[in-house]
Amino acid sequence: MSDIWNVTFIIARQKGDQARYYQSFPLEINPDEYVLDGIERVWAFHDRSLTFRHACHHSTCGACGMLVNGVEKLTCITPIRSVTNDGGIVKVEPLRNFPVVSDLVVDMSRMYANLGEADFYQVGSLKNTYLPIEKELPSDETYERLVDCIECGLCISACPVALTTPTYLGPAVLAAIQHGHEFNGEIIRSLEFADTEFGAWRCHSGFECSVVCPSNVDPAWRIMDLRKRIVGYRIKKLFGKK
Amino acid sequence: MFEISKPKSREGAFLWLYKIIAGGLIVVILAVHFIVNHFLGPKDGLLTYQAVLDYYKNPIIPAMEIIFVIVAVTHSLIGTRSIILDTNPSPKTLKVIDWILIAIGSAAIIYGIWLILVLVSRIT
Amino acid sequence: MENQPAANKFIRWFDPRNRQVGSWAFILNRITAIGLTIYLFLHLIVLSSLARGPEAYDSFIDLATSPLFKFGELFVIAGGIIHGLNGIRVGITSFGIGIRKQKEMFYVIMVISVIGTAIFAIKMFIL
Repeated sequence: MSDIWNVTFIIARQKGDQARYYQSFPLEINPDEYVLDGIERVWAFHDRSLTFRHACHHSTCGACGMLVNGVEKLTCITPIRSVTNDGGIVKVEPLRNFPVVSDLVVDMSRMYANLGEADFYQVGSLKNTYLPIEKELPSDETYERLVDCIECGLCISACPVALTTPTYLGPAVLAAIQHGHEFNGEIIRSLEFADTEFGAWRCHSGFECSVVCPSNVDPAWRIMDLRKRIVGYRIKKLFGKK
Repeated sequence: MFEISKPKSREGAFLWLYKIIAGGLIVVILAVHFIVNHFLGPKDGLLTYQAVLDYYKNPIIPAMEIIFVIVAVTHSLIGTRSIILDTNPSPKTLKVIDWILIAIGSAAIIYGIWLILVLVSRIT
Repeated sequence: MENQPAANKFIRWFDPRNRQVGSWAFILNRITAIGLTIYLFLHLIVLSSLARGPEAYDSFIDLATSPLFKFGELFVIAGGIIHGLNGIRVGITSFGIGIRKQKEMFYVIMVISVIGTAIFAIKMFIL
């Protein structure tokens, strides 16, 4: 016996150069299903021209990030129950701060290019990839794991500085640089990449990034830690040269 | 469609660090400055002209006020610059803005120090 | 292409929906910063009356004890307390201290600011 709710999905549509408009789709749906399931249902049974990104459906690939009722969410793990009530509305829009390709799909090339420049380490040692607050598990240097960041871009969408500054590297990239340096203290190039007016020094402590991150990266803390690492590196350079 | 930003490395760190340290100093000095100038004076808490000169007799005070002018003006203008950066000025525009801020800041600091020294010279 | 970062998007900083306290702190800090900057330069200019001697300055001080003046000053005081305390919060989180508690810090700051402003208001108008 499962609930069925009447929920209206209001979805942002945009093709080519036209202005964005919103389309409503009333659905009867089990509220324990996810927002992404609702969107897929709209595509399958109502409008095949709806474009959206999705892949793994279990918060590993980072493809399905969207704004749900104005808040950045990974839609494959956002139950409908958590964003609305029976008879309510689910408003779905593409992420902020990225150009829209079509409907809910945005172009994240800038973020990927910057991650490339940042030498994003996707693998870290098991010991080094834990945040300070997590419990230390019995660790072994030989074990590795994928780092937490799934490159979903929710943090960049939420950041108030990225909202106005296209050249700001953004929380994802800065967190990636910090992560890489945590894993391998020898890397210099990406530290210098972050050590600019539009890198680590641009953050103004909005903390929105850490709140929306679905994957435990905590970019806000990582940016602060990155600043310490950059300052440490520059001090060492100053004395090393002399 | 997009460009990877390649701004000069090593810019921005010093201003950021300075802003924070100046901010810390301001909080301390401002507390003293405010309490003396608004609570301890003879006229409804405020200082009269003569009371100001009496206050300046202790040499620590003019020294503190000079430091105060410098850190307050610089903190304020660096912060203003940060807000202006959010409007995405082109590098050329930013250079012009930088020079204007430096000019305003220097004028304000020189004027402030001059004013303090004028008062010190009038202490009877 | 729209939906890209742009300077004019800053209007969204003032959208109160769906944001958590870190953004509020960010916006408040900016607003108080602008207010305090304007006050700072006005203050410096007004103090030039000190150089003109006791008559000029003391007559200005008489003006400064008027109720309207004091009311305006209350905004400066409130702005100064908020900006100062929030600045301390930004300063220490920037060094990695207390990031887990940044929301709680902001609540405490706002409470202190309200109480502090109230104390000054009472001192200036009633006592």
